Amino acid sequence: MSALLKKELRLGALLLTYLFIGFGLMAMIPGYPILCGVFFITLGIFQSFLNAREANDLVYSALLPVAKADVVKGKFLFAAFIELAGFAVMAVLTLVRMTLLKDAPVYRQNALMNANLFFLGTVLLIFGLFNLIFVGGYFTTGYKLGKPFVIYIIAAFLIVGAAEALHHVPGCEAVNAFGFDHLSLQLLLFACGAALYALLTFCACRKACRDFEKIDL
Amino acid sequence: MNIAELQDVCKEYPSFRLNKVSFALEEGKITGFIGRNGAGKTTTIKSMLNLIHTSGGEIRYFGMPLAGHEKEIKQRIGYSTGTVSWYPRKTIREIVAVTKTFYPNWDEEAYRRYLAFFGLDESKKPIELSEGMKVKFNLLLALSHRAEVLILDEPTSGLDPFSRDELLDLFGELKAHGVTILFSTHITSDLEKCADNIVYISKGEIRAFRPREDFMRENGRPGETLEEIFLRLEKEARA
Repeated sequence: MSALLKKELRLGALLLTYLFIGFGLMAMIPGYPILCGVFFITLGIFQSFLNAREANDLVYSALLPVAKADVVKGKFLFAAFIELAGFAVMAVLTLVRMTLLKDAPVYRQNALMNANLFFLGTVLLIFGLFNLIFVGGYFTTGYKLGKPFVIYIIAAFLIVGAAEALHHVPGCEAVNAFGFDHLSLQLLLFACGAALYALLTFCACRKACRDFEKIDL
Repeated sequence: MNIAELQDVCKEYPSFRLNKVSFALEEGKITGFIGRNGAGKTTTIKSMLNLIHTSGGEIRYFGMPLAGHEKEIKQRIGYSTGTVSWYPRKTIREIVAVTKTFYPNWDEEAYRRYLAFFGLDESKKPIELSEGMKVKFNLLLALSHRAEVLILDEPTSGLDPFSRDELLDLFGELKAHGVTILFSTHITSDLEKCADNIVYISKGEIRAFRPREDFMRENGRPGETLEEIFLRLEKEARA
């Protein structure tokens, strides 16, 4: 499996995909919908899928001495690698905002979402949706990328909108906690996001393996 | 001994049907696979590589069914086509560096030898290669992991007569070393030079699977070449 990941990183991936991990830095922008950084990271992954498709990557991979299902797992592994790299950037910056900058006026006077554990959980939820809708959707045909990506964009921005609006709903203010306030709730929300990421990715991968077996290359 | 066997392989498309295709590849023999465009040669080959989902039948290599033993089998087979190239904007060096990590049997010395034999430059990209050189690049990948079976889909298409002749000589050498070759082509004169067996497919059905001499004796008229036999059989089938 590591050989398949190396193949994705060395042959399939575009430099752009690695550069777009840097959009994780958007977590530091004050007064900005910081979840948009997730979208740009997935946009980078989309570009690599596009590049790989144009390079006949699926046929090349299916001819290698690997099971057809391993080709699918390699793609999921690549997507997860980039996502978790982006997540790591966001997690470090979120910790900075939760500790050193928790009282910084630019972040305190912010009508939009705060960088906290709920934010990180939502990041993982959106990555999970990307894996379910886009990566999984790609393997229903093996060539159509546009439709699953558009559906993903709609779903992602609905989540961004809902997450940004949630703390304005009376009684839900705690989701926008600063520092380590409401830590139990924050940890629970993060755990839910992480669990959903794992569940959505696992289910998408299993379904994609089954779908890819039926595809004619 | 049969290295590969196809038994009643079926595949249905809306406008085409591969109907109970059965034949075998004998160890250390070159099998020519002939048929006109659209007869089902590439569909059969794709079935043999698990690139398409068959609707019936069984494919076995080395006594093992392809289903469930894909990894082991693909370690021992090589594939080359004259039409597709992978990663057109990566250099040959970059593609090979990744490809060889999948093959514990990768033979670096053989790779260097065939690289020189085919006159390929590692710093070139597939997009910079002519159609003939792309064929050679695909063959280079197939030959460098000591494949015991080579499945070649129109490998001589796009090659100049000199390169074709060189390639046929190479197939002869590989055969002498025990390599089994399935060689799909519509350039039947190539098969007259090297094939031991002939598989003839028409409209998705195997019409003949015979040793080449027997095929020519049973289907040909005195003095007819393989190409003339093939053309006449196709005309008779259409009439």
